[in-house]
Amino acid sequence: MGLLAGASVSLIATGPVLAANARSLLEAAFNNWRADSSHAVTEMKIKRSGDTRNLTMESWTQGEDKALVRFTAPARDAGNATLQLGNSTYVFNPKLNQVIKLPASAMTQSWMGSDFSYNDLSRSQKVVDDYTHTLIGTSSNGGKTVNIIESIPKRGKPIVWGKQVISVRSDGVLTKVEYFDQLGVRVRVMTADKIGTLGGRPYPIVMTMKTDAKPGQYTRITTKSAEFNISIPGYVFTQSNLQNPR
Amino acid sequence: MSNLKTFTPLAWRNLWRNPRRTVITLIVVSVGLWSILFFNSFINAWGESGKEAVLKLLIGQGQIHAVGYMDDPSIDRLMSPPGEPLVSALNAPEIEAWATRLQLPGVVVSEYKTLPVNVVGVDPEAERLLSSIPDKVVEGRYLKGVEDDGVVLGLHIAERLKTGLGRRVILMSQSTDGSLSEQSFDVVGLFDADKATEDFYAFTGRRAAQNFVGLNDEIAQIVFTIPEVDMLDPIIADLAATAPDLDVRSWKQISLFLATTDTFMQSFIYIWLGVVFSLMAIGIVNTQLMAVFERTHEFGQLRALGMKPRQVLVLVALESTFLIGFGVLIGIVLAAGTIWTLTDGVDLSAFAEGLEMAQAGQILYPEYDIPGFVVLSLIIWVLGILVALWPARRASKLSPVEAMRHAT
Repeated sequence: MGLLAGASVSLIATGPVLAANARSLLEAAFNNWRADSSHAVTEMKIKRSGDTRNLTMESWTQGEDKALVRFTAPARDAGNATLQLGNSTYVFNPKLNQVIKLPASAMTQSWMGSDFSYNDLSRSQKVVDDYTHTLIGTSSNGGKTVNIIESIPKRGKPIVWGKQVISVRSDGVLTKVEYFDQLGVRVRVMTADKIGTLGGRPYPIVMTMKTDAKPGQYTRITTKSAEFNISIPGYVFTQSNLQNPR
Repeated sequence: MSNLKTFTPLAWRNLWRNPRRTVITLIVVSVGLWSILFFNSFINAWGESGKEAVLKLLIGQGQIHAVGYMDDPSIDRLMSPPGEPLVSALNAPEIEAWATRLQLPGVVVSEYKTLPVNVVGVDPEAERLLSSIPDKVVEGRYLKGVEDDGVVLGLHIAERLKTGLGRRVILMSQSTDGSLSEQSFDVVGLFDADKATEDFYAFTGRRAAQNFVGLNDEIAQIVFTIPEVDMLDPIIADLAATAPDLDVRSWKQISLFLATTDTFMQSFIYIWLGVVFSLMAIGIVNTQLMAVFERTHEFGQLRALGMKPRQVLVLVALESTFLIGFGVLIGIVLAAGTIWTLTDGVDLSAFAEGLEMAQAGQILYPEYDIPGFVVLSLIIWVLGILVALWPARRASKLSPVEAMRHAT
C-alpha cells in the first residue's frame, strides 16, 4: 500500500445518489483500463518462494469480449497463447502444437502459473453489472482523489466473493482491488504500484496481485508500451491466428 | 473288513502310547482349523458390514436408468419420471422404498478453490427411507423438499473449499442447451460419511437441480431397496419386464468394485485355508514320520507276526484319521466358542479411520456359518488324512528282518 501511505480517508454518508455514482465511477474506470481496443507489450513477473519467472507478452483486446495474449519470452514459454472470444477461452501450447478449448470449470484456475485466473483476464463488465456498488470513502493518491467503492454481489448471482473493495482514482485509474471471502477475510489484493501515462491516458503501469494466504508470493505486471483505440484486423482474434501467428 | 474291528481299538490305543506327540498334532490341527473357521466368520461379517454400509449410502439394492446412461452419465441420457405400470411395480410390497434422483457432473467453486463434484438432486422425503446420508448430516440440516435450493456438502469437501454452513458456493454444470449453467447455492448442511463420498457428492432438491440446468421433470435414476436380499434377482427381472425400455440393474452390476470385493472375500477363505493347511501338513507329516521312525521295531514285529503291508498301512492311516478327526472336533469347538463370545459385535471404532478406507462398518457381527463350518472342516480332515498316508506308506514298506534289527 506504499502509494496510499499517509492518504487521508474520510467516510461519506451513502445514499442512492452515491450508489449510482459509484457504479458510473467504476464503469468509467473499466472503460479507461480496457478502452475500445488496445495493443500492449507487458512483462509479467511471477514471484514464488525461491523462484522467480519473468515473462514477456503481447496482447490485443477488442471491446469487452475479444482478447488475445501471446507470450514472446523467455524461449521456454514463447508461443504460448490465450484467446478469449465471449465466454469461450482457447489455449495454445506450441509444445503440444494444439489448441485446447478450456472447460468453463477451468476458468478459475491459475493462468500460466501466476496469481491471476483465466477469469481475471476478462469479466470486468460482470463486476459492474453483477454487484451493488456503494461509495464508502475517499483517500488521495498522487494529488488526486481516490474513491473507495464497496461492491457486494447481487443476491443469486454466481459469485463466490463476499465483496470486493475497489479504489478508483478521479482520473479513472483503478488503484486497488481487494477480494474478500464471505466471512469478510481478504483473500487477495491487486494494487497499482506505479501510475503513469501510456498511449496518451493515465494508466496503472505496474500492477501487483497478491494472495493473502501465500505471503512472499506475487505476480507483477508491468506494461511497457500500449496503444489504445486502434483498429485491429479481425483475423487477430481467430483460432488459426492463435496457433499460427501471421 | 473284519480287520477294522481289531484295528480300531489298536489304532486308538497306539495314539495314546505317546501322548506328547499326539497332543502336539492335535494342537496343530485344532489351532489351524480354528483360525480357518474363525476367519471365515470374521471375513463374512466384514464383507457384509462393508457391503451394507455402502449400499445403504446411495446405491440401494438396485437402480433404473435410461438405456446408455451408465456408459455415459450425461444430461442427454436422462429419462422421464416413472409412470404406470412402473410406479405400481415399485410400490409392490417386496420393494421397501424407492426414490428418484437427478445426477449432474459438475464443479463446485468457493472463494478459494474449484473442485469436481456430482450434483445430486434428491427427493428428501423418499431419500430418508432408503439412504443413510440424511442421518449423516452433522451440521445444519438435510434438505427440506424437492424445491429446496440449498446444498448439502460433505465435511471433507467443505474443508477443502474452506467454506462452511451458511455460506454460498457456486455450482457449475452443463445445461440442456450445451452451455454452462452456474448458480449460487447456500450451504445448508454438512454430512459426515467416508471421504470419497464426501468429496464426490453435493445434494440439493431435485426440482432445484432441474431448474439449475434447465430441465423439466427428467431424472437420471430410480433407486430402490428391498428387505429380502435373496429376492433381488426375481425382483430385478420383474421390473425389467415392467419397464422393457429402461435399464434395470442390481447393485452387483452398478458397483462392480463392491461385487468383486464380495466374491473375493468369499474366495479369500480358501486362500487362507491353503496357507494354513500347508503349515499344518508340515506339522502332521513331520510328527507322523517321526512316529513311524520310532516305531520301526514294532512294525517289524507286526509284519513278522503275519500282518500284511496293506494292513500296516491301514493301521497307521486309521491312527491319523482318529488323530486329525479329533483335532478337527476341538478346532470346531474352539471356533464356535470364540464366535459365541463375539456375538455382541467386534467394536472396531478405534480403527475407524482405516476402516473408512476399507469401507467396513465400525462394529462387526461374526455369525455361525454352518455350511462353511462343515465344508471347511471336512476339507481339512480329508487333506490331513491324505498327507498322513505318506508316513503310513513308509511304515508298510519296511522289511520285517531289517526293521526288527532296528534298535528302538
